[in-house]
Amino acid sequence: MQELALIQPGRSAEEEFAQEAAAVALRREFEERLAECGPLAYRVARGVLRNSADAEDVAQEALLRAYRRFERLRDRARFRAWLVRITFRLAIDRVRSSKRREVRETLWSRSAPRPSTEDIAANSEFQTHLDRAMEELPEKQRLVLLLAAMEGHSLEEVAETLGLPVGTVKSRLFFARKQLAEKLRCHRK
Amino acid sequence: MPSKMKTCEDYRVSLMDAAASDAAPSHELSLHLDACLACSRAFAEEKQLFGAIDAGLRAETNAKVPTSLLPRVRAQLNEQPVPRHSWVPVGAVVVAAVALLAVIVFARGLGRESSGVDRDMQPRAKNAPPAAIHVASIADGPVKTASTTEKHNPSRPARNAQVTQAESLTVLISAGQKRAIEALVASVRQGEAKANIVLIEQTEASPQDTGVAPLAISPIELKPLADLSSESPLEDGKHGVEEFEQF
Repeated sequence: MQELALIQPGRSAEEEFAQEAAAVALRREFEERLAECGPLAYRVARGVLRNSADAEDVAQEALLRAYRRFERLRDRARFRAWLVRITFRLAIDRVRSSKRREVRETLWSRSAPRPSTEDIAANSEFQTHLDRAMEELPEKQRLVLLLAAMEGHSLEEVAETLGLPVGTVKSRLFFARKQLAEKLRCHRK
Repeated sequence: MPSKMKTCEDYRVSLMDAAASDAAPSHELSLHLDACLACSRAFAEEKQLFGAIDAGLRAETNAKVPTSLLPRVRAQLNEQPVPRHSWVPVGAVVVAAVALLAVIVFARGLGRESSGVDRDMQPRAKNAPPAAIHVASIADGPVKTASTTEKHNPSRPARNAQVTQAESLTVLISAGQKRAIEALVASVRQGEAKANIVLIEQTEASPQDTGVAPLAISPIELKPLADLSSESPLEDGKHGVEEFEQF
């Protein structure tokens, strides 16, 4: 009498070793990009959230999410753009969820994160109006505006990051600035 | 034909566009700005507004990155499972499932053939103890078990306790099916057929394990031909029908 048993294909020690080596290489490659792109993620989050603590949380979440899916990214050269989009999306989601929370909770029970000195300095009246006007912009225009405002980002680099033609970036930037000016004209300094 | 004289209102749009695009005003607009103090002031205010917008955006987007960010992320990375290619286990599971299905279908197909042909050819083989083959998937979780003989003979004493506790699928087949399975196994061993099958000798097999009673043949009584001729044809035929029905 015989017994048939179906089993998973056995993995040899060589395969295990190769997988471990690949995982280590993946981790090393990600860490190299982390040092380069971590600040970018933070700045994108900060541009949307305008709060240091929230921006740090969102940047961390975006970087971890990027790490978990890093091996699925076929074109590693697109990592920067990929990370920007993940961070932007997470930041927008957080803004929306915090708005919903604000509606639910009463003002006295809400424990808002303590603003940093930088937050306080930036939180002038005009800045508040600017933030509000930014929130009303279409997301595509908003992202272009944020990236273009970052130091060391030329329009060509923004276009490359977003995978868009330079003309499209210029167009979005132009209309975004015009819309902001329309809303802020009565609040000018 | 002389062109219509443009007013300040006509220049307002192009003035704002020039400020928004941060580009130098056109030649025509420059001439107007030089001539019109009000538009020149409006243009300066627009440029100031866009300068304030840019400054506000730069203040937000070029904020100093906290030094705690990267160490925090690295610490979190250490707690993350190492990302692996997810298609490897999925593929293995699919291959195992397909192979299991193929074996079951193959066994059932042979079962139908033998029930149709072997019964007619060898009526007594029905009572032979079927060979038991355990088809087991070594998965992480327990596998739902079933027994073909349990379905066909519900009146038989239940072995549900044993069946449900077993972590393998038990298929009861006839001797002919067993030979076919053995042929398949031999071809797998020789490399003629590709399948992820491992053969394990079952050492503790016994008729009690299968739950099928062993074949019991009563002693055959031999009678002289002369005695048979005295029996009526009806009785002989009745006896034959009863015997046939037993099959």
